[in-house]
Amino acid sequence: MLTLNLTTNYSSAHCFDELIDANGIPRPAARTLFECLARFPLAELDARRAEVDAAIMTMGITFTIYSEGSNIDRAMPFDIVPRVMGQREWRRVDAGLRQRLMALNLFINDLYNEQKIVKDGVFPIDVLAGSKNFRAQCKGHTPHFGVWAHICGTDLVRDKDGTIYVLEDNLRVPSGVSYMLENRMLMKRLFPELFEQCRILPVDDYTTRLYESLAALSPRRDERPMIAVLTPGIYNSAYFEHSYLAQQMGAMLVEGSDLVVGADDCVYMKTIDGLRRVDVIYRRIDDDFLDPDVFRPDSALGVRGLMRAWRRGKVGIANAPGAGVADDKVVYTYVPKIIRYYLGEDAILPNVPSYLCMNSKEREYVLANLDKLVVKPANESGGYGMLIGPRSTQAERDAMHSRISADPRNYMAQPTLTLSTAPTLIDGKLAPRHLDLRPFVLQSERMYVTNGGLTRVAMREGSLVVNSSQGGGSKDTWIVEEQR
Amino acid sequence: MLSRVAENLYWMTRYMERAENTARLINATSQVLLDLPPEASFGWDVLIKVVGLDALFSRCYTTPDENSVMRFLITDERNSGSIVSCVRSARENSRTLREVLPRAAWERINGMYLYTNNRAADAVDRARRYTILEEIIERRQSVVGLLTDGMSHDAAYQFIRLGRYIERADMITRILDINAAVLVPRQQVPEDPSMALLWMSVLNSLHAYQMYRRHASVHVRGAEVVNFMLKDTHFPRTVRYCLDELESSVSQLPHHGGPLKLLRIAQRRLAAMRIEGLTAAQRHEYLDAVQSDLAHLHEEIATEYFKFCEQKPAPLEALAGA
Repeated sequence: MLTLNLTTNYSSAHCFDELIDANGIPRPAARTLFECLARFPLAELDARRAEVDAAIMTMGITFTIYSEGSNIDRAMPFDIVPRVMGQREWRRVDAGLRQRLMALNLFINDLYNEQKIVKDGVFPIDVLAGSKNFRAQCKGHTPHFGVWAHICGTDLVRDKDGTIYVLEDNLRVPSGVSYMLENRMLMKRLFPELFEQCRILPVDDYTTRLYESLAALSPRRDERPMIAVLTPGIYNSAYFEHSYLAQQMGAMLVEGSDLVVGADDCVYMKTIDGLRRVDVIYRRIDDDFLDPDVFRPDSALGVRGLMRAWRRGKVGIANAPGAGVADDKVVYTYVPKIIRYYLGEDAILPNVPSYLCMNSKEREYVLANLDKLVVKPANESGGYGMLIGPRSTQAERDAMHSRISADPRNYMAQPTLTLSTAPTLIDGKLAPRHLDLRPFVLQSERMYVTNGGLTRVAMREGSLVVNSSQGGGSKDTWIVEEQR
Repeated sequence: MLSRVAENLYWMTRYMERAENTARLINATSQVLLDLPPEASFGWDVLIKVVGLDALFSRCYTTPDENSVMRFLITDERNSGSIVSCVRSARENSRTLREVLPRAAWERINGMYLYTNNRAADAVDRARRYTILEEIIERRQSVVGLLTDGMSHDAAYQFIRLGRYIERADMITRILDINAAVLVPRQQVPEDPSMALLWMSVLNSLHAYQMYRRHASVHVRGAEVVNFMLKDTHFPRTVRYCLDELESSVSQLPHHGGPLKLLRIAQRRLAAMRIEGLTAAQRHEYLDAVQSDLAHLHEEIATEYFKFCEQKPAPLEALAGA
């Protein structure tokens, strides 16, 4: 049997495998997929894989790696075996994500206004004081709908017992959604047969929903809003995505130098026909660079006066400046309490148990167990500055020891999770590779959660690092209606 | 539309047009040289003169033999007008235009870049040259087709047309100017059979041979070829046609008074021109004037529409004239 060929000798020891159970049998949600794949000889699978690679090259789906000098393109590896999840399980995740983002937005708005959660003693003032991403310049402002984080990419992981945890909330400028959309397109182009057999929920409405979410932020509600995606430019690692989203939404792709804030506090872009007003900016640059008048004065990427325009309600900005205050790995540990405080509910999706280095007991534990834990700086993203204890050298642990002692507020640690795996086509065979999942959640006038999200895969055997900036690849993610 | 985007569209197209024109020029010349007697004075150096890069070439190479000229025009990265450089620049420009262009346009431009990068070096070799350059031409044509049929003919499209027809008109006048200078003095010997061959090659390099035969004359004679390539109103690769297209594009843009005025000057100059009976010097002077009309038009467009830009891409003429 060809089915056996595909999964024979496949074993993902000590891990939860997303598609194959401990007895080597496809899980219910993945059954149809394997029935279909079984009809492909391996040579055919390999041939299609080669076709995918060629399509990726031509389509120019690339992710820039900062360290690669003048070569600004690098194709992100794509694996043709999708990651499949049943709709029943997904519904719970979907509800958990909505709950989480709703609470986080209430939290951010509270922090910049009354700070009730601090006064009520639920969220310590020290943590707030030590937050690099709390922007005093945003105090006293309430954006439309009280929402600050309009676009959120939440990283989920599954541990060996099958529990799905939230690993982190990305509330600043999360990227990856274009890869989710492109991956689906590639799969449809190359495996149309699978889509006839498996009942896969669509993801293609994301850009429409994003457009609607942004349009709702326009200060001029009676006109078709002018929406601009603000990019740092072609050398940014996510430039492909910026241009992709602008293209899909019919929005303008602008750089800071294309914009100017007028004496009337409105934002204008420089066009062949003179200046034209911009209503909403989907910014893909960090707070620090947004406005040299308010944040880093040396920023050449931003727009002078942008914060003034925003505070006066002349332009919508997503995500709002300062939203990153909740995207802090120390704040993260308070999210279950935040959900309880604002919504009166228990968190549907659990956090990974975490140790805060600012608390002396927990710090002592962390410092004594650096070889077992994953240590993360509070405000970095993309996997930079992280220590994975079990895979670290003594020198790396010593360096981390002194960094934590010098600045305990800036570090937290978690047990090393055994990330789940999924079969991945490596050298013509299916082999288990670790992965995570980044669904995207939108909140503006309405809420929206993608069906699935971006599955990132650590392509190296045994590796737990899935970040695309660290050489990870990706898979199409299927939420399927289960067979009866 | 953004000034920066307008400028990138314009340059992207100029680079693409130049890559295609250079490929055509090389293929036509490679064919005709096979037919010429060994003592013919026409050589590869004429191509360097056509693109106006004599100085740069002599800094990079010692003799204008086939291999050097081909490397210089096809793959040399020191030459910003080589096919490889042009396609790369076009692609770098289009990278910032992905949200303006139809999606497939980027895929095709990128595909053309990947092909050119992989294969162009092989085109230095005469045996494989024709096929590879034809493929590059075909890929460029497929981009043109897609843009013509697959995007709104809005302001963005007009900047694409401006880039295409300014570059094309410039190339036509260069090809006519240099070839006439080389060829016409030899017409004193009317029975010289290589004359017709060389003028055929001129037509071929402008992709005009078949249409010339059909609409102008079955005989290939210098003055008639020059006349056709300058003044024919129906064939898309004549100066007249390019100017008409430019006029139509400019008219659709906002505040177009300045550029339109310059276009009218060029059009009047062309209409007043009588080719038959001109001396070589007069003809050269005339073609030179048309070229400077085009240069002025370019500057006017840049001032009128791109002026918001702070960083300009390297201008093609400046490099070409170096």
